[in-house]
Amino acid sequence: MYFKILMGYILGYVTIEIEGYFTERFINLCNTKKIFLWNLKKINNGIIKANISISDFKKLKDIAKKTKCRIRICKKEGIPFFFNRYKKRKIFLLLFLLVLIGIGVLSNFIWNIEITGTNRINKEEIENLLAENDFKVGTSKIGLSTKEIIDKIRLERDDIAWVGIEIEGTSATVKIVEADLKPEIIPEDEYCNIIATKDGTIVKISAQNGTPVVKEGDSVTKGSVLVAGWLEGKYTGIRYVHANGEVKAKVKYSEKVKVPLNQVKKVETGETENKYSVKINNFQINLSKRVSKFENYDTIEENKKLRLFSNFYLPIEINKTTYKEYKNENINYSLEEAKQMAEKEATKKLDEQIQDKESILNKQVEEEIAEEYVEVEVIYEVLESIGTKEKIVF
Amino acid sequence: MRKQRKKVAQNKINNLLEIPQEVSSNIPKVTITGFEQILIENYKTILEYQDFYIRLSTEIGILNINGFGLDLKEMTSDDLLITGKIDSIDFESIEDE
Repeated sequence: MYFKILMGYILGYVTIEIEGYFTERFINLCNTKKIFLWNLKKINNGIIKANISISDFKKLKDIAKKTKCRIRICKKEGIPFFFNRYKKRKIFLLLFLLVLIGIGVLSNFIWNIEITGTNRINKEEIENLLAENDFKVGTSKIGLSTKEIIDKIRLERDDIAWVGIEIEGTSATVKIVEADLKPEIIPEDEYCNIIATKDGTIVKISAQNGTPVVKEGDSVTKGSVLVAGWLEGKYTGIRYVHANGEVKAKVKYSEKVKVPLNQVKKVETGETENKYSVKINNFQINLSKRVSKFENYDTIEENKKLRLFSNFYLPIEINKTTYKEYKNENINYSLEEAKQMAEKEATKKLDEQIQDKESILNKQVEEEIAEEYVEVEVIYEVLESIGTKEKIVF
Repeated sequence: MRKQRKKVAQNKINNLLEIPQEVSSNIPKVTITGFEQILIENYKTILEYQDFYIRLSTEIGILNINGFGLDLKEMTSDDLLITGKIDSIDFESIEDE
């Protein structure tokens, strides 16, 4: 029965008013003729409201005549009537079709390119590289061969191990796996020196092959030769060799941090102002004035690409600009506070540079106090091996 | 007498096979759900339909439904679903001769 009502809605139904003295007879006749009526309602004496499907409605004529009832249509509902309503609105229909076609056509272009997997390589470089190979926002998906683009990129860049382009709807994901840089290995049969990579004081030097040039305790500068790639024999004279050995040195890392005692700090007042603009392809429409009403403010921009469904990006962007008001507040730090802050910051910076924490030999803190600021220098002494091989060029 | 005997025999068979009564004969089945819905199966015709009163004829008699704001929600040739506030239902059975 519910199925019948549902079908009635899809195929269309009308609400009618039956007026007459023999409404019961009318209903019974409908029943015997298998005409389906539903939602019968007695309104007045002699008037019944009922729903009936369109196809059945045509059969009512005979019954109405027989029972001397009058039938009046109150309401037309259902999909056929809905479409009928728009028959006269040709321009509306045309535009609706145009929109549909537009969506269909636009779905054949790529509107969003996402590059993932890049750590060392700049994303813009990849974007430019893709653009050179005709793969950018706005390219058609038809006739696009991702394999060709991938091959071209891989030929051009050595530092990319693998590239994958995945197109889903109108968004493309470019996955990149970076290749590790090739280490420079000097073959055993070539002559080389060992040179210093960093400034430092030599702690230990052991040459397995070659002649050590510096002693323990010597301070060396970056680039100076530590173990020379030759041997001097009594009878053989000078003979060039492939220098080999380990050089350990104390390397000083230092970091200076200046902290003024009087600082101006931003304090947010909590007041924000949102402004929106719409960007279509490259054309920006501001929906409100760009100038903020605040005197001091931070600007935060948020972009949102419009999309239909989960993966169908449209070339429309909504930019939201949030202005956050802040106040400038003067803060006076005491000498101790400033010192601590500076030292903390310097230590943090140094910790980022040094990976091997266990090899830290010494930590030194130097302070310089002036009237307006405190300058703290933190010096770490780290035991490191500083030798690398360098080819001897004759 | 003959007719009655035949009926009795039929009833016996039906009882034996456990066929529900409303299936084996045209006896109406009245299902009342709550106070506001009543489903009548195997009815014959509607004799009278008013806002407050519905009179149906069935195989074994006449069924009167009194209430308030009674609507014939769904109607087919053998089922009838009535909604509205139901006050009372009464039967007028037709005597067999």
